[in-house]
Amino acid sequence: MDLADIPLFAMIRGKLGYLSERQKVIAENVANANTPGYKPRDLKPFSFQAQMQAQASGPSALAVTQPGHMAPPALAHAATAAKPVVSKDSETTLDGNSVVLEEEMLKMGQARADYDAAIGFYQKSLDLIRLAARAPGHG
Amino acid sequence: MADVRFNAETAQAIAASALRAQQGRMRIIAENLANANSTSKTKGGEPYRRQEPVFEPTPVAGGMGVRMARAQPDSSAFKTQYDPGNPSADASGYVKLPNVDPLIEALDMRDAQRAYEANLNVIDTARTMQMRTLDLLKK
Repeated sequence: MDLADIPLFAMIRGKLGYLSERQKVIAENVANANTPGYKPRDLKPFSFQAQMQAQASGPSALAVTQPGHMAPPALAHAATAAKPVVSKDSETTLDGNSVVLEEEMLKMGQARADYDAAIGFYQKSLDLIRLAARAPGHG
Repeated sequence: MADVRFNAETAQAIAASALRAQQGRMRIIAENLANANSTSKTKGGEPYRRQEPVFEPTPVAGGMGVRMARAQPDSSAFKTQYDPGNPSADASGYVKLPNVDPLIEALDMRDAQRAYEANLNVIDTARTMQMRTLDLLKK
């Protein structure tokens, strides 16, 4: 059995994937803080509700039984495509760049804290599995 | 969690490309400041013209990094000074001085420094997140 078959683990993994994807998008924004005409991008907020629905009514995955079969497209990626952020004119420089470094730093700190939390949850959930797998009386 | 590790590396590669670009920008600022008083070698000729770095997004390891596309000459007018004894003065005794403003260069340098630090921050955070993931192995 794969750990990802357990909804709790699948959920935490989804969150970790989302956060690292967001970290990548923030890295792109920071790297292009001086690129003329660059618009910062961000991901849609990770929604517990949407994840639950995807779990409950997710399309049945296509099985790959032949080497010639193509893998089904990753659903998670379609949902987390980075969109340009509409920013105020006052935050746009004369060369059309609207990246605000402070804002990106803040978002990055947030993503990092959330990531730590999700990893913590993952760890605790693993501990639960370990607890269940332990032989009785070997506390 | 293959995607998590991959994104952390991409984020670091993107930030590293930005560090390189900002270094290039610092080099151009240094050139400008060094040549702030470089007048023409010939009589009545043009002095040093200020260079301006232009950044552009570039694909880096699966994300959008940045690179210095070119150094563009600043087309603003030269200052002139009446100094008939100067070897580079024109027929009417005026010397053309470079269009370098040390104040603008100093501000630009601060901006480059700030962007450099922000990118170092991104690398640091990406690495910490990656390490947190690896910590799962410890228990």
